[in-house]
Amino acid sequence: MPITAEQSAPATKTRRSATGTPFTRVLGLAAIVGVVWLVVFGLFISPADKVQRQGVRILYIHVPSAWLAYLAFIVTGVSSAAYLWKRTRSLVWDRIAGASAEVGVIFMGVALVTGSLWGRISWGVFWTWDSRLTTTAFLFVTYIGYLAVRGLGGSHEQRARRSAVVALLAVLEIPLVHFSVEWWRPLHQQESVADGKLSGLMLFSLFVGIIAFTLMYVWMVLHRQRVMTMEDALDDKGLDLALAERRAEGQQGSGH
Amino acid sequence: MDHAGFIIASYVLTIGGIVVYVWRVLSRGRRLAEQLPEEDRPWI
Repeated sequence: MPITAEQSAPATKTRRSATGTPFTRVLGLAAIVGVVWLVVFGLFISPADKVQRQGVRILYIHVPSAWLAYLAFIVTGVSSAAYLWKRTRSLVWDRIAGASAEVGVIFMGVALVTGSLWGRISWGVFWTWDSRLTTTAFLFVTYIGYLAVRGLGGSHEQRARRSAVVALLAVLEIPLVHFSVEWWRPLHQQESVADGKLSGLMLFSLFVGIIAFTLMYVWMVLHRQRVMTMEDALDDKGLDLALAERRAEGQQGSGH
Repeated sequence: MDHAGFIIASYVLTIGGIVVYVWRVLSRGRRLAEQLPEEDRPWI
């Protein structure tokens, strides 16, 4: 039950971010600088590739977003394990898991869209059902399902427990996606970085993308996790208020 | 630049998507903060 501003102790209205701290402001600024740097290097400074030509510019955002999605889902898995382990059980882990999964879904969506545009340039089609693309799409849908499971009813503890189990199962898909290019030899190219296919300014632009997206990921997870903390607090207050109203009604009823 | 439309679209969609998500998270945070006392925001 939502509670109104009058029912709870009102906080001061501020135009600044309600979830920000000096650390997140510095982090956010660094992420913005990183993204601007990425755009400048990716679109203007980095040269065209001999094989991929101008299409390589899409890889500077496609590869970092895919890697960050993996990282986000691994963080979700580790946080979920931390919640399930009795010694470290805390709803903070559950919120980090949820926030990281949500941000991971955003990055995975970016990876799918940019990969599709890159595919149109390189292969002539937006989509093909090869093993890398299919497993990536499956991973994306799995984590949308994870977020749906988080949205089911029940107490915070029930939400945390069932979503942690789903997260531990879902994270097993990541090796399947990553090694699909080696196991099934699909249309999708194999590792570009490890194989030394990118070098010089192209490799540097890719690293700029990875740094910028990593800063952005940390910043987004911190803010989302704090918003989740407030959502839970408001839920608890709503429940307390409903119980108090019920008790008051009960006392009035017994008084008559 | 060959395929400029696809390349620029990929950057615009990426940055635009992230900006929309960040804006939604921050505005939800502001709305919630108006209904909660400061002790419910331990990071302050």
